[in-house]
Amino acid sequence: MLRDKRIAAIASAAAAFSWLGDWTPENLSRWIELELGLLLNGPEPQRYGTHHCLTIPLSPILHIVSGNTPHAALQSLLRGLIVGAVNWIKLPSGGLPELNTFVDRLPKEIRPAMATRLLPGWLEGAEAVVVFGSDAAAEEFAGKILPTQKFLAHGHKISLGLIWSRCHEQLAEGIAKDVFPFDQLGCLSPQFFYVAGDSAEFARQLSQLLPEQPRPGRAAKDLGIAAALRAFREEWRFRAATEEGVFLWESPGNLDWAVVHDPDPGLVANPLHSTIFIKPMPLDTALLLSPIRRLISTIGLHPVNRESVNLGVRSGAQRLCPIGQMQNPPLTWHHDGWPALASLVRYVDVEGLET
Amino acid sequence: MIKSLESEILSFLREPVEERFESLALEIFDFQRRENLVYAKYCDFLGTPDRLDSWKRVPALPQIAFKRSEIRSFPRPQMLTEFRTSGTTGEGHGKHFFPSLRLYEASVQQGWDYFNLPRHRFILLMQHPDDAPFSSLSRMGGFLANFQRDRFVIARDGRFETGRLREELLDPGEALTLFGTALAFLNLIEEIPSLRVNLPPGSMVMETGGPKGSGRNIDQRDLYEQLSLRFGIGTDSIWNEYGMTELSSQFYSRDVRSSHRSPPWMRFQIVDPVTNQESGIGEVGLLRIFDLANLWSVLAVLTQDLAVAQPDGGFLLLGRDSDALPRGCSRAMDELLQSARSR
Repeated sequence: MLRDKRIAAIASAAAAFSWLGDWTPENLSRWIELELGLLLNGPEPQRYGTHHCLTIPLSPILHIVSGNTPHAALQSLLRGLIVGAVNWIKLPSGGLPELNTFVDRLPKEIRPAMATRLLPGWLEGAEAVVVFGSDAAAEEFAGKILPTQKFLAHGHKISLGLIWSRCHEQLAEGIAKDVFPFDQLGCLSPQFFYVAGDSAEFARQLSQLLPEQPRPGRAAKDLGIAAALRAFREEWRFRAATEEGVFLWESPGNLDWAVVHDPDPGLVANPLHSTIFIKPMPLDTALLLSPIRRLISTIGLHPVNRESVNLGVRSGAQRLCPIGQMQNPPLTWHHDGWPALASLVRYVDVEGLET
Repeated sequence: MIKSLESEILSFLREPVEERFESLALEIFDFQRRENLVYAKYCDFLGTPDRLDSWKRVPALPQIAFKRSEIRSFPRPQMLTEFRTSGTTGEGHGKHFFPSLRLYEASVQQGWDYFNLPRHRFILLMQHPDDAPFSSLSRMGGFLANFQRDRFVIARDGRFETGRLREELLDPGEALTLFGTALAFLNLIEEIPSLRVNLPPGSMVMETGGPKGSGRNIDQRDLYEQLSLRFGIGTDSIWNEYGMTELSSQFYSRDVRSSHRSPPWMRFQIVDPVTNQESGIGEVGLLRIFDLANLWSVLAVLTQDLAVAQPDGGFLLLGRDSDALPRGCSRAMDELLQSARSR
């Protein structure tokens, strides 16, 4: 399919998914131009410095996607479609209904092949393999990849927020928008917020404003998750009763949300599912975050200014954005720090071509 | 006062009177709220009234409290014994302190007798209490086997004393009771793959703990079939003891997927994890346990185990859903913290 027709078809299919962002043909074209200039225009080599160059999609691309958010799976497929590759998708065992809906909206000739298991020949036959999931999953596939294949692993990531402000309605709304989608299980979902100033008061204010915030529809929690969340809450209730500065606020009579104030800025595990940790801003944030530096994805900031951006960069963030925008990266973002489209093409350099 | 309360509980353990459970439980609650500063803080925080009208309203401490604080209802200088949880999750040990083991021992012995469990020859797949002074299970084995060292077949260094174990198992004499953790039984099978004996009639296996911490995923039915095959006994001669370091008494079940029953000095509730309210029969929830013998810490403990109340008055234990959390990207933080702890 020709490039422009393909881009129009992708934009049309993506239009039904507002949470993907603004996928108009014009925006897609701008994105392509930003990353690849004119190099994706077709078989004709384009001037590139002192020589010429063209790009060819790595194809087929095998996408091995995980079940915790459909967002990442869709984005990966979209990138493969944009560069013009043939796409194969290994789905999680439970499937991904959103992906099926999207694929049904595509013209037949660019639809990906999808299966909940690796079909024979997929792993060996793909020119590029994109894996979403744990380090262990990435390691497993990495061991099976040939040097001639491109391997792109998106491991689990941690996101967080840095706030220099008292809590107010708009900020609480932003925090809710960042935390609530996808049951907080995505790589862009913040697991904790560092707050400068009176962090306990901030947490108290947030707990009062949170019940008013809209929450996307969620599947009922399975019993194992509910039990683990209850165990977590009972632990922090005990800590709130016995430790100075620990507070727990929670949705009454259910497990819908919880706000925990922990006076210790140290890293703690979060059971997620709308569990918000508020911690005091450390004296040296970058140092405290250094153990998770390689795992940090997005840091939400409030306010966004030179100082906060510098701190975010020093702390290892791959993306910095305003609180409230953490789940909405722009089309042109560099997922996990790489160029999203340019990673999926092969460059062919042509020298000596007369123009 | 303390002595008399301890005596009253001891006498209840010897001769349980159903009607006395409630008042004794509430006396213990009063005592613990008065003497246990951490528990008092917790009750105050929850707004628990000074006077309760039912044992069911006694606040249960989450198990994790034993890791985070000293849960003692007596002054520290009186401490005689400390039991510790295995700490397999890398978060440190939960600790249970005792000024005396009279109640603990009485509960072990009376509980064993309450379920008509045999008192014949023990082979204990555990270390002797002298080698594992912080293990409540070893101490329990010690009480049952009168601390005879030759009944314990795991050495101080954690290895099986396989020679002695073989001799014991091949002795055609009287019936015996093999008692150990499910993990110890699995290790034994791995250590002696050819193990196949026919234990004398009347012999039994008592397993406890499940295969947790073993990295193995084996369900109870498979485990019991393995044990039945290896020891030549029916699965109805295999029992499970369900206890924990944070308690002083044990529940027991017999055969695969059968109810756990308590001795008369224990009660349980199943709590809906979403609402935190008591669930009905047949509904799955978290297990909350009340143990009168737990005088020296707290009467009520909220476990992290899922269970279902059964019409026969017991509960079906489902255990912990270890895969439930963390998922997705929370796993990154969890793995990182686990790895930091293990360094």
